[in-house]
Amino acid sequence: MVEQVNSFAIKTKNVSVHYGNKMAIDDVTINFTKNDVTSLIGPSGCGKSTFLRCLNRMNDVIDSCKVQGEFLLNGVTDIYGDSIQVETLREKIGMVFQKPNPFPKSIFENVAYGPKIHGLASTQSELNDIVMESLNRAGLYEEVKDRMDDIATGLSGGQQQRLCIARAIAIRPEIILMDEPCSALDPIATARIEELINELKENYTIIIVTHSMSQASRISQRTAFFHLGKLIEHGDTSKIFTKPDKEQTNDYITGRFG
Amino acid sequence: MNSLNKRLSAEKRFQAYGLFAVALSMFFVLILMWKIFSTGSGAFVRTTIEANVFFNPDFIQVNQNSLEKELYRASYVALADDVVRQNHPNLNEEQFIKVREMYTRKFDYQLRDYLLDNPDKIGQSIIMKITASSDLDQIVKGNYPRDVPEAQRKINDYQLSVLDKLTSEGKVSSVFNFWFFTKGDSRDPETAGIWGAVMGSLYALIICFSFAFPIGLLASVYLEEFVKPGKVTDIIEVNINNLAAVPSIVFGLLGLGMLIGVIGLPYQVPLVGGLVLGFMTLPTIIIASRASLRSVPPSIREGALAVGATKMQTVFHHVIPLSLPGTLTGTIIGMAQALGETAPLLMIGMVAFVMEIPGGPLDPATGLPSQIYLWSESAERGFLEKTSAGIMLLLLFLIIMNTAAVLIRRRLEVKW
Ligand SMILES: Nc1ncnc2c1ncn2[C@@H]1O[C@H](COP(=O)(O)OP(=O)(O)OP(=O)(O)O)[C@@H](O)[C@H]1O
Ligand SMILES: [Mg+2]
Repeated sequence: MVEQVNSFAIKTKNVSVHYGNKMAIDDVTINFTKNDVTSLIGPSGCGKSTFLRCLNRMNDVIDSCKVQGEFLLNGVTDIYGDSIQVETLREKIGMVFQKPNPFPKSIFENVAYGPKIHGLASTQSELNDIVMESLNRAGLYEEVKDRMDDIATGLSGGQQQRLCIARAIAIRPEIILMDEPCSALDPIATARIEELINELKENYTIIIVTHSMSQASRISQRTAFFHLGKLIEHGDTSKIFTKPDKEQTNDYITGRFG
Repeated sequence: MNSLNKRLSAEKRFQAYGLFAVALSMFFVLILMWKIFSTGSGAFVRTTIEANVFFNPDFIQVNQNSLEKELYRASYVALADDVVRQNHPNLNEEQFIKVREMYTRKFDYQLRDYLLDNPDKIGQSIIMKITASSDLDQIVKGNYPRDVPEAQRKINDYQLSVLDKLTSEGKVSSVFNFWFFTKGDSRDPETAGIWGAVMGSLYALIICFSFAFPIGLLASVYLEEFVKPGKVTDIIEVNINNLAAVPSIVFGLLGLGMLIGVIGLPYQVPLVGGLVLGFMTLPTIIIASRASLRSVPPSIREGALAVGATKMQTVFHHVIPLSLPGTLTGTIIGMAQALGETAPLLMIGMVAFVMEIPGGPLDPATGLPSQIYLWSESAERGFLEKTSAGIMLLLLFLIIMNTAAVLIRRRLEVKW
């Protein structure tokens, strides 16, 4: 498999993460190809969330968390370097969390917040357009178009999660990180989100943590298997799920442990 | 089975204890309320005596063309005496003094106020309800017994006979005592009002809020959101909790020593009172505000940070608005506490006789609780009902503030 340098959205090298003295990620090197969906799988506590949160520096707010290693955005920008501010970085790398966390404000405000603080719209009608388009792409517009001023926390769980996705794509990121976005949702809402991820990958690079093997095989082109803070195996989803190189991977996906 | 019965009866017993405790405390509250209301309700009416008033220009040295200023400055004492003489003809000097005592000493002011409103009445006669003296008022209200020897009465036999004559003529009546709500303090109970003290307290509370709320909010936001927890924050935390438990008189001493002694702010003014109450309320606000900041779910902060908001934007756009109901509730409860606080006002002199209604935070004033304290010290029976009425008003304000706190919490609280 020959891959070009510039076809990587994020390259990481020798990443280690500690919480205090406790090691959570141990010397992980992994590259994420552009416009692909990459699934991070592995047993609970193996460090998937920790690794994901390193990519947009969400771990900065945890005092005990120490991140080492190399992170390159688009092959050139050092994510932890001085050349990029963390706010700009998060403008480029959006995130959707496990539990839907809309702001307790109106639906419109939720989506408009990011564009507003980054000055992406100069007029109200531009802002309206961005909000409408983001909701549309998140597949939520039809459901909420008549109640844009209603409080977002009044939506159903699945709608809230799609709103959070709309909020993330409203600032036009290049990469979207998703940490178990469907774990709080029912199968129908989950199917909608998966459909959405499928559409989004045309324009975005998506890295998603999931506990569902079937979900990983349905939505992702690439899969990375983590275990005890180590990256065990990383490759095309079809290969990982049919004939993985490592026995540990095989045991995990066939449900023999984890 | 036996042991289950035992447990069930234990539960019944426990509930009975609880019920008893609640009933007992309700009983005491009711007694307190009944006592205050039965004593204080008298303050809301005052006895008046109807009299024919002839605004004789000779006695006030003014005429129809006098300016308002001249009307204001004129002396109405002679006119007041004349009114008494006209309404009670053929009195000798001794009798006149006794009858004059049945009317309030301040009734010259009542005449003046009427004339200021109706200057065209100079040289004319009107029927006016003139306020009775406090002692007469108490006799009419039945608070002073009539059937005791004359020497033990404030109203002597002659005055009683005049009173009975006036009553039979239908000239004695009770009116709603607006003065209690509109006037400042007075040496005479019948003209003493609470408004000066209310305004004093109001100015003090405004100062208290404008000082303590922003500082308390910013301090708590800084401590909770920006500073890394460590030794220093632990020490600050312990100190804040300690300050919340410091007796209020100590804050009064601080105000006396620092604000008045060192900075040189005036004695007896709501500005200093408000600042002292602010010192006192500050720890309460900080503690309430920190608690409500902590109750904002971290996921909201993460959501804002993840779309690229700065820490500052996250805090000011999301965290503070969400924590505000809790902070405001704490602030109002703290201020309600401050409103009822007497000791710090005592220390900084807001407990003196002030007749004028303060026009700003730099005018000498008393506060509600210190006014109540002042009245309770007075020997006259008339002030006793003012004391209770003052307490009623204070309780009313406290109820209003605490209700507001509950409503704000209900109205603004976010449901997750
Ligand atoms: N804030 C933190 N402070 C200390 N240790 C942490 C913190 N967050 C995570 N850890 C530890 O780091 C390790 C990896 O945690 P992480 O949340 O990344 O796991 P995960 O793979 O996402 O698990 P799950 O699938 O259950 O979400 C765990 O052992 C966890 O206890
Ligand atoms: Mg996780």
